[in-house]
Amino acid sequence: MPEIAIDPISLEITWNGLKSIADECFISIMRSAFSTNVKERHDHSTAIADERGRLIVQAEMALPIHLASMQGLMTFIVNRFDKDISPGDVFIANDPHVAGGTHLPDINMAMPVFDGRRLVGFVANIIHHADVGGAAIGSMSGGLDEIYKEGLRIPIIRLYSKGVLDEDLLQLLLLNMRLPDERRGDLNAQIAACKLGVSRLEDMVREHGGDRLSTIFSEIVVRTEMRMRKAISSLRDGIFTFTDYMDDDGAGTENIKITLRIEKRGDRILFDFDGTDPQVAGNFNMTLNATQSAICFSIKALLDPNVPNNQGIFDAIELKAPLGSFVNCVAPAAVALRANSCQRVVDCVFGALAPQVPDRVIAGANGANTSAVFTGKDPRTGQLYVYLETLGGGMGARATFDGKDGVQVNITNTSNLPVEAIELEYPLRVEEYSLIENTGGAGRFRGGLGIRRVIRPVGHTCEFNGVGERFLHKPWGLFGGKDGATGRFYLRRDDGRKTMLASKSSCIRLPEDSVAVLETPGAGGYGPPAERTAVAIQDDLTSGKFSQEFVKQHYLV
Amino acid sequence: MLLEGRREEKWVVGVDVGGTFTDFSARGLSSGQVLIHKRPSTPDDPSRAVLTGLRELTDKYRIDPGSIERFAHGTTVATNALLQRKGAKVAVITTKGFRDLLEIGRQVRPHIYDLQLDAPQPLAARQYRFEIDERIGPTGEIVRPLSDAAIEDLIGKLRRAPEIEGLAVCLLFAFLNPAHENRIASALREGFPGKFVSVSSEVQPEFREFERFSTTLINAFLQPEVSRYMDRLKAEVAKVAPNAAFGIFQSSGGLMSVDRASQFPVRTALSGPAAGAVGAAGAGVMSEIADIITLDIGGTSTDVCLIQGGKTDIASMRDISGFRIRLPMVDIHTVGAGGGSIAQLGAEGLMKVGPQSAGAVPGPACYRRGGTLPTVSDANVILGRLPMTLTGGEMTIDRDLAVKAVEPLAAGLGLSVERTALGIVGIVTSNMVRAIRVVTIEKGYDPRKFTLMPFGGAGGLHAADVARSLGISRIIVPHAPGILCAEGLILSDLQEDFVASCRIRVGTGMDEAARVIADLASQGKSWLASEEAEGALEGRLVLSLDMRYVGQNYELPVEIANGAERPALRGPDDLKAAFFAEYQRSYGHYDASAPIEIVNVRLRAVAKLPQSSFPARSPEVLAPPFDTKDVWFDDSGPTPTPMYDRAGLPAGTTIEGPAIITQLDSTTVVPPRAELRVDAALNMIMEMKNA
Repeated sequence: MPEIAIDPISLEITWNGLKSIADECFISIMRSAFSTNVKERHDHSTAIADERGRLIVQAEMALPIHLASMQGLMTFIVNRFDKDISPGDVFIANDPHVAGGTHLPDINMAMPVFDGRRLVGFVANIIHHADVGGAAIGSMSGGLDEIYKEGLRIPIIRLYSKGVLDEDLLQLLLLNMRLPDERRGDLNAQIAACKLGVSRLEDMVREHGGDRLSTIFSEIVVRTEMRMRKAISSLRDGIFTFTDYMDDDGAGTENIKITLRIEKRGDRILFDFDGTDPQVAGNFNMTLNATQSAICFSIKALLDPNVPNNQGIFDAIELKAPLGSFVNCVAPAAVALRANSCQRVVDCVFGALAPQVPDRVIAGANGANTSAVFTGKDPRTGQLYVYLETLGGGMGARATFDGKDGVQVNITNTSNLPVEAIELEYPLRVEEYSLIENTGGAGRFRGGLGIRRVIRPVGHTCEFNGVGERFLHKPWGLFGGKDGATGRFYLRRDDGRKTMLASKSSCIRLPEDSVAVLETPGAGGYGPPAERTAVAIQDDLTSGKFSQEFVKQHYLV
Repeated sequence: MLLEGRREEKWVVGVDVGGTFTDFSARGLSSGQVLIHKRPSTPDDPSRAVLTGLRELTDKYRIDPGSIERFAHGTTVATNALLQRKGAKVAVITTKGFRDLLEIGRQVRPHIYDLQLDAPQPLAARQYRFEIDERIGPTGEIVRPLSDAAIEDLIGKLRRAPEIEGLAVCLLFAFLNPAHENRIASALREGFPGKFVSVSSEVQPEFREFERFSTTLINAFLQPEVSRYMDRLKAEVAKVAPNAAFGIFQSSGGLMSVDRASQFPVRTALSGPAAGAVGAAGAGVMSEIADIITLDIGGTSTDVCLIQGGKTDIASMRDISGFRIRLPMVDIHTVGAGGGSIAQLGAEGLMKVGPQSAGAVPGPACYRRGGTLPTVSDANVILGRLPMTLTGGEMTIDRDLAVKAVEPLAAGLGLSVERTALGIVGIVTSNMVRAIRVVTIEKGYDPRKFTLMPFGGAGGLHAADVARSLGISRIIVPHAPGILCAEGLILSDLQEDFVASCRIRVGTGMDEAARVIADLASQGKSWLASEEAEGALEGRLVLSLDMRYVGQNYELPVEIANGAERPALRGPDDLKAAFFAEYQRSYGHYDASAPIEIVNVRLRAVAKLPQSSFPARSPEVLAPPFDTKDVWFDDSGPTPTPMYDRAGLPAGTTIEGPAIITQLDSTTVVPPRAELRVDAALNMIMEMKNA
């Protein structure tokens, strides 16, 4: 291939154009998908990859957890199909063990782009589908202990061959999923986004030609890797370690250890998870791609939040994790709830690097992806309902200010459902939605407060399923800051009796004379409490976020 | 230049307060004569520039101030108070168990990777958010009654906080049953006659509590400041123009009375930019162009708005400075790219333009106000696209300073200064194009089917580049692009929006919907009657329903009726068909079998004001180019390009590119392979030929 020189101006303009394509595909899915999960929560991502399967651009609003998953799919496609890829093919996959995914609800699609007969690249996208079959509605319940129970496994296969839909295959997929109409709608949205992306990328192929576009792709990756390596170089050389624990896997294994050893030399950085516990029966395991997503998030957030998301970030990072461990699981490990584990990997990276980047790191945050599902039969209509919520908590304190109270942290950022929307839709009453006092760890800057949500079934008995983390292992403080409070779930009867629940609770009966109280973890403080200013302490008291006793215990010694 | 008939003419005056300039546009109701004036803004007290400028305008054109019939004002007082968090000390009264709801919001962070960036703290501190024991349920039923003792207890607590100026009453489900809010509000109004009270069921009675509470709290926060400003301005303007009716421009695109603006200041949060969009739609109508993408390029940012069928797109929600407002507002999208955007080498060694801006001070290097960093304006000067004097000769341009600013960047890239300048313009174009593509595709439109309308100081400099990149073939440059916001103000009618919550399935409960609609129609009719008594012409009622599929969490507004008559509810099949059509347009598909529900009923009442539809007066003959300059359009080198003064272009003129057209405060670039013609409305229409 002849040497093609790309000047820094045309490269910027073309890069902008590529980002625009990924954004348009993202919006196209948002507009045409059927499910609330996509339309309201935007639980989807889009990207462009090159002919070697390297990720080149990701949409602005794409999710960190999807980053390595799309990358994983592309690598598998290129390796498996190599020369057998034709215009009009659409590949589909979701399996974490054989197709680069991170959990089954995330269905990946990809479509190739050609310049004549030369493969130039792919457009790819992911939607988190609200159900992909399996033992429990939503395909995300706790307690599932092998991947077969979590839903339908799709290896990398062609949904379209040379522009022709494999209707038989589509029927097979839909038959194995609940709400097949909604699934078909969301799959169609993915297909439409693939076609839109391909046609827009073909315009670029016409403008630049395949060779020049390939050179541009490589330039993007190389320059991003350079940027990332430059940020890495700013760290002091050395070996940094941190160990943290997951409470349990909801299937009998407690105190799951994640050990991270970071070796940094010059512009190289190695993340080594040797010493981490083996994979567990419960569905909190991480495939290596999930672990890689969590590391990319952490390193970006700490070193350079605006570095573009592409292969260049992966290239700048080395990763080692024992095969069959909690952070590099093998089939048939169950993985649906890996987002909670991703949060803990982020905590490990932050913990290990804290002394190197004290101005940018945050103390231990709520560290979970707390979810609550209420199901029952609506007494007014006799219809089954399912209400799913994910809750934020405290954000870790920072070098120059307190941790934010009651917010989604780190790798997740999904919004809540309004109280009025819940009550209009479901036979449930929200009795309280508040910040929990005293849950942020004391410090020069204090940790954020956790959230309390209190829910009562109206006129019937319902069932509660919950997944929480950091109910046992506290969100840690940094540099002398105190730990934040743990989370908890409990039932409270109107006569005052309380029943504590496990962090992974399923099928809990909730009668109408009782409420479920969900309390998410707070977060750790930063710096010695003795250095907190009098003004800040006074504000802790006047705002009512902390009690006199708390202040007396931590600050007035 | 005293024109005949000036003495008997009645005038409408529009005043738009911007960050840098306060713009005036006066239009004669019988002649259509347009007079414009500009003076620097006075940010510490915006009313100073308004009053001085108004006197200057009447002196300059010898208008009898007594002949000003209407004074329409676009204000940034509310926007600035929000941006600077400079408003009242406010308290919130809310349902027991929910005082933190305003602080948690939707529990999301503004930027997922940025650990140091938080959503702003609520405008009312936690100790000023009071809970009261009461609860309304989802059918409007009372779950826990509100006791007089609880109200007395609340009043007692508030007495111990005399520093509070504003009160926001925000209860759950008050949009269905405002009884508790009303009782609290009247107790507060009685107990604290000097304080302002905002009530969620009055400000915006719609479901989704966080958005409603936040809008109400913002209203309370703005009320003291805005109503003081309004009172002062009204009194002062009355001294200058005693016969002028006073209209305040609201973000939804129409005028309201000063009293209304003082009661609901949150409705003015986007007053200025919304006026520009209305002005653009008005200018389009004059040239019979109905589908427009506006491109308002200022110093630090660019505003984009879609106009479809002559109507500006309306959004139902927007964050301003991180604070959420749920109200109908002209849907303006802001991109961080403008004339002052700074070019630099980014982290990957590529050239980046913006979002950092040189602002008004120190400004672009070429403006000689101390700026030294290379900006988009400097690039335009180097390329010969920007004339050497601006704003009618009040500002001179220094090309040497522009070159000096760009040189280090050019050296870093190993390119000539001109090629670097082309790169700066190319990159800022690609930033704008990216934003516009997203905005149009989000709404389900194809940008190529629109006409691009540049305005603001720099719109015309970049419009041709932006149009070519978007595949847009036609550009319309309005007659007065520098003061389109003020133009929008004088074109505006009086407008009032009513909303009521009404959640029913289409097909059942239609009587309930009919009752709600009849109730809103009565409110609309009586509002129109009171405005007609004040001199408004005929009125119009626009009915739309927020509809969705059962189980969905987002609604689509569907217009059902638009006319002088009392709107009536149509049958279920008609409603379904209207919903399907809108769903198809917005999302590309619809499901004819799934059940549909109505969530809100909205009624907009529009009272027409006397307008003048005469086009501006055309010059008699075409003035020849006043200069020819070397201008760079691409990297093949400079092209000798004629420079025209727009004031010398009569209707019917046709000019082949390349050419540069200059006027008071804006410049239009006509590149090669483009043709410009001046139409009867004196708008310039540029057709882009295929490259």
